[in-house]
Amino acid sequence: MLRERLTIGRRALLAGTAAATVLGHLRAAGARTPGQLIIGMNEEAVNFNPLLYVNTGVETSVEFIVFDAPWKLDPTGSFVPNLATEIPTQANGGISADGKTWTIKLRKDVLWHDGTPFTAADMIFTLDTLLNPKVVVRSRNGHEHVETYKAVDDYTVLIKLKDNFAPYLVSWQKTSVIPKHVLASVPDINTADFNTNPIGTGPFRFKERVAGSYISFTPNEKYHGGKPKLNLLVQKYIADQQTMYAQYQTGEIDIYDINGIPPVLFAKAKQIPQSKTLLSPSPFVEFIYFNCAKPQFQEKVVRQAIYKAVDKKGWIDAVWYGVPVPTLSYLPPNHWAYNKNLEDPGYDPKQAAAMLDAAGWTVGADGVRAKNGVRLAFTMSTTAGNKPREQAQQLVQQNLKKINIEMTIKNMPGSVVWGDYTIKGEYDTLMVAWDPLLYPDPDYTDRIHSKLIPAKGGSGSNYVQYENPEIDDLCAKGVAAVDQAERKKIYDRIQEILLEDVPFAPIFSWQAIMAAHDWVSGYTVNPYTSTNSWNTGDWSVT
Amino acid sequence: MRRYVAARLGQAAVLLLGVSVIGFALMHLAPGGPLALYTLNPTVTAQDIERVKHLFGLDQPVYVQYVKWVYGFLSGHWGYSFFGGRSVAPIVLERIPATLELMGSSLLLALAMGVAIGIWAAVRRNTLVDYGTATVAMLALSLPTFWFGLLAIYVFAQVLGWLPAGGIETTGNGSLIDRLTHLLLPMLVLALVLTAQWSRYTRSAMIDILTQDYIRTARAKGLGPVRVLVGHGLRAALVPLVTLAGLQLPLLVGGALVTETVFSWPGMGLLFISALDNRDYPVLMAILMVGALFVVLGNLAADIAVALIDPRIRLSHV
Repeated sequence: MLRERLTIGRRALLAGTAAATVLGHLRAAGARTPGQLIIGMNEEAVNFNPLLYVNTGVETSVEFIVFDAPWKLDPTGSFVPNLATEIPTQANGGISADGKTWTIKLRKDVLWHDGTPFTAADMIFTLDTLLNPKVVVRSRNGHEHVETYKAVDDYTVLIKLKDNFAPYLVSWQKTSVIPKHVLASVPDINTADFNTNPIGTGPFRFKERVAGSYISFTPNEKYHGGKPKLNLLVQKYIADQQTMYAQYQTGEIDIYDINGIPPVLFAKAKQIPQSKTLLSPSPFVEFIYFNCAKPQFQEKVVRQAIYKAVDKKGWIDAVWYGVPVPTLSYLPPNHWAYNKNLEDPGYDPKQAAAMLDAAGWTVGADGVRAKNGVRLAFTMSTTAGNKPREQAQQLVQQNLKKINIEMTIKNMPGSVVWGDYTIKGEYDTLMVAWDPLLYPDPDYTDRIHSKLIPAKGGSGSNYVQYENPEIDDLCAKGVAAVDQAERKKIYDRIQEILLEDVPFAPIFSWQAIMAAHDWVSGYTVNPYTSTNSWNTGDWSVT
Repeated sequence: MRRYVAARLGQAAVLLLGVSVIGFALMHLAPGGPLALYTLNPTVTAQDIERVKHLFGLDQPVYVQYVKWVYGFLSGHWGYSFFGGRSVAPIVLERIPATLELMGSSLLLALAMGVAIGIWAAVRRNTLVDYGTATVAMLALSLPTFWFGLLAIYVFAQVLGWLPAGGIETTGNGSLIDRLTHLLLPMLVLALVLTAQWSRYTRSAMIDILTQDYIRTARAKGLGPVRVLVGHGLRAALVPLVTLAGLQLPLLVGGALVTETVFSWPGMGLLFISALDNRDYPVLMAILMVGALFVVLGNLAADIAVALIDPRIRLSHV
């Protein structure tokens, strides 16, 4: 491998200029191909099996293009039937009175891309695969709550749950169905050809993947949701963000998607002719994660004081150019369950210092607060090389220094930070963005329940090691309640307690800056899905 | 000669085994691992991570994993990528053509330009030409590629609109002209640093030669400057240059990390970066072994070529 260091040479530049002049004219002759749309992404999708892939976002995009789930979420957050004929509710008999028996009725006009009819057997096969211990599925999407399931007839599936689990509706929105007739005879699904050559029921058929370059899709003329308007859809991989921006500007890509335009280029991006920028709200909330098991963070007053001493608005404005939306909860403020009555602790270093003084964290000779021999000093980690996060860390570091707290930045490659360092609770604090497990369901059990601390042998993602019996109780009530108003009360209370205890400090909810050229129509940002490729059948170009 | 090559290949096998042990150990001893990407996925729980770890065999002792890997590698089965489940051999081999295209063209260009500039600088030693080319070469070697690559994209794609901003071809076009326009910028960016290297090596090799008596003799015989420089001078200077060529041969398949990333060139460098980010051990090991093999072959080829060029060198004595 060549590790190059280069610069401009006049000779090469002149030679290049001459050649470019000639070739540039040739290139200008080629216009956009009619009916072809190229969506640019700066991550590469490699696994197209909807149950196996790991990289949410870029691989979810392929999933939405090629596959279907029983229902999907539209940009208003409503469930819309897709492979199913209706959304099961207690009112229509789809969910039993005790909430444990679910009946899913399926459409009869759905065909797989190879022409085979889609039936309940495919749904059953999908569940079998998800629960098969030999298959490397990334997540069981909440299907571990399933007790028994069967096909009542070719177009009806009956599922019995072990417990009353309201988020199960989201489980099936997140579970695309895979074809039994293709995969049942495959000896090892983990390495099946299907994973790179998928057959789905979705609006487009998979055409080809050119490694490191692009994936292309041709329309599924018989799509049950209506024939797609494009002739060819291309998901193009561009590794470098600057290069991707350049390609968008030159029209080599029609849509700038996954991860969005860096906020530093937002103002410039708005000036690109024949283009509009779109703010795409995401379920991700940016946090300072406290390791509550560390001696510094065992008292909530320390966490509260830090939250108060950090200039949240300055962080959003200075580092992110004001693009993200402030939030006081693990939910984005536009979510139906967001507690609008949460009291903002604000930015008040003086009060923060006073709180620490009162709690006995006094400033020592070295200028750093301490109590009973524990210095209020800690590290903060995130993925090394993430420039905006590094800037934010410096900001937080300065904020905390003012109230005599010593924060050291300790960033590492992603494969290090997000491994055992996080899971086994080796960190002090993290700067990280996460969203709820079965978003948009507000259930947050996995991240806050005291029995789900992996550092203490639990099976969940309670990496902050937060323990509160009242929260455990509320989490259980939240998933068992079916009525939305009733659930809202429970989650309001959970958010209130979390803001009081601050096991993690919510800063803002993410908004990615997407852009689409004016000749594209139908591209609509969706706050409830991890990619905006949720309606590609409706996309068109003029 | 035959015996020499056989002995060198035997040494190479031992060397490759050593590379694999060190590579495998370093990869597994380094903190972190391939499961971090799972942690970052909000739908994945710690339970899922334990399950996946077991299915990938990552919960076994490292030496067991290594023995399994060696056995698989030698029997032609390089394993499956942790991300995508594809067989590793095609994942790696399918990147070779793109890298070969980029590296081959820039190496050839650099060779031609670098040798020419090097001779010119040596002949005009301690003149403006010599200092000028030295300065440009030093600049080329010391400024970062990503910066120059981005500058090239900015000027030629964004401002002037003459050339595409990265990629190997226009999706759905892929004609020869189209591919050449895509090749031009990354090739020039890469060729620049290689040209700088070649010009410096050629210059110093030629300066040594040009002071030799036989050059003076050749001039005294009345030979023209081209025959003196190329026929007598360059030919004698070939030994260090061929060695350099042998050292650069692995670049043909190894690719260029930075240039491929900046220009979204779908070659080995780009694959290596993403496999490294994800800690995709099977893919990393395969790239490492293919790379090491070419280093060994490059060195061997250079040694043989040097012996063929310079009759004073006898391989049996090496």
